[in-house]
Amino acid sequence: MNLTPEELGRKIKEAQDRQGQAPGAPIQTGESTPAGRAMRAGVDLAAAILVGGFLGYWLDKWLHTKPLFMILLFFMGFAAGFLNIYRSQTGQDFKIGMGTLDKTEPDNEKKE
Amino acid sequence: MATSPLEQFVIRPIVPIHAGAFDLSFTQSALVMFAGVALTTALMIMGVKNRALVPGRLQNLPEMLYEFVAGIVHDNLHDDDARRFFPFVFSLFMLVLMGNLLGLVPYSFTYTSHIIVTAALALFVFFLSTGYGIYRHGLHFFSIFLPPGLPLIMALLIVPIEIISYLSRPLSLSVRLFANMTAGHTMLKVFAGFSVSLIAVSFGAVLGFLPVVVNMALLGLETMIAFIQAYVFAILTCIYLKSVIELH
Repeated sequence: MNLTPEELGRKIKEAQDRQGQAPGAPIQTGESTPAGRAMRAGVDLAAAILVGGFLGYWLDKWLHTKPLFMILLFFMGFAAGFLNIYRSQTGQDFKIGMGTLDKTEPDNEKKE
Repeated sequence: MATSPLEQFVIRPIVPIHAGAFDLSFTQSALVMFAGVALTTALMIMGVKNRALVPGRLQNLPEMLYEFVAGIVHDNLHDDDARRFFPFVFSLFMLVLMGNLLGLVPYSFTYTSHIIVTAALALFVFFLSTGYGIYRHGLHFFSIFLPPGLPLIMALLIVPIEIISYLSRPLSLSVRLFANMTAGHTMLKVFAGFSVSLIAVSFGAVLGFLPVVVNMALLGLETMIAFIQAYVFAILTCIYLKSVIELH
């Protein structure tokens, strides 16, 4: 069976259409399984709390305001952690700002 | 009794090098890292050597890897940026993938199971994306911390939260990879340890085989996780780059 590149390309396209898979379609992987997402949520939350806590600790050491900033930033880290989770679970990932929630610009990038 | 399941993560020097107070020894971790880079390079060069129109098996593998990573990059970044960052993301993907996969070979070492390695990679991504954001947008880059349409009084609260969220990226990126690798390899060793304990009881030869079956299944799972974690690392790198380029 000798095919020209064009014929081969057409055949591949047909086969892809049969399988309902567009070329270059995003590949679904484990992050979209519940366990993968749960794992990710845990890490996201813990990371933000740690960063908040350490930032506060370091600011306190620098400004001699112990324990004001550590307490303050710990809770802000908590908030940031939930923001991280919210973003990763709604498929916005770490997009800063409210991204897809901003109704003024239609965002069609909601893939994950 | 057999060694601890965490024994496998101990760094052992092969060629001890001491420069003043620093220990710059060439360790088994570095050796596997070199092997990963050499293997990637060899695979790429050998694979595309013939440049056949219809790829053979050896050519198919580099092409699949290329298209896979190119798909991730082009999904997130636009033409010029995608072309600019593809080599970086591809190298990163292959380094992490090789680390994860070579670690599954017996007597090998998983360098991605050390947080210093993953943290170095994640911090590099962090500084690169921050630097590129500032390069692209100048001081306007810092508006990334201020969601559009935010009442100014709320900025007092939201901006620190956004900054913490931004700073937590490299941490969660590195911890995710490190934790997955460490947990998987510890689990393999724990089940292997069960085998050793069971051999000691009566019918040990029969019972001792059961954890081996579990380990075979786990090894399959670990291979999948090796791919997924490399994929996640690459896609998050792209998302971080995307967020600093588009800002909002």
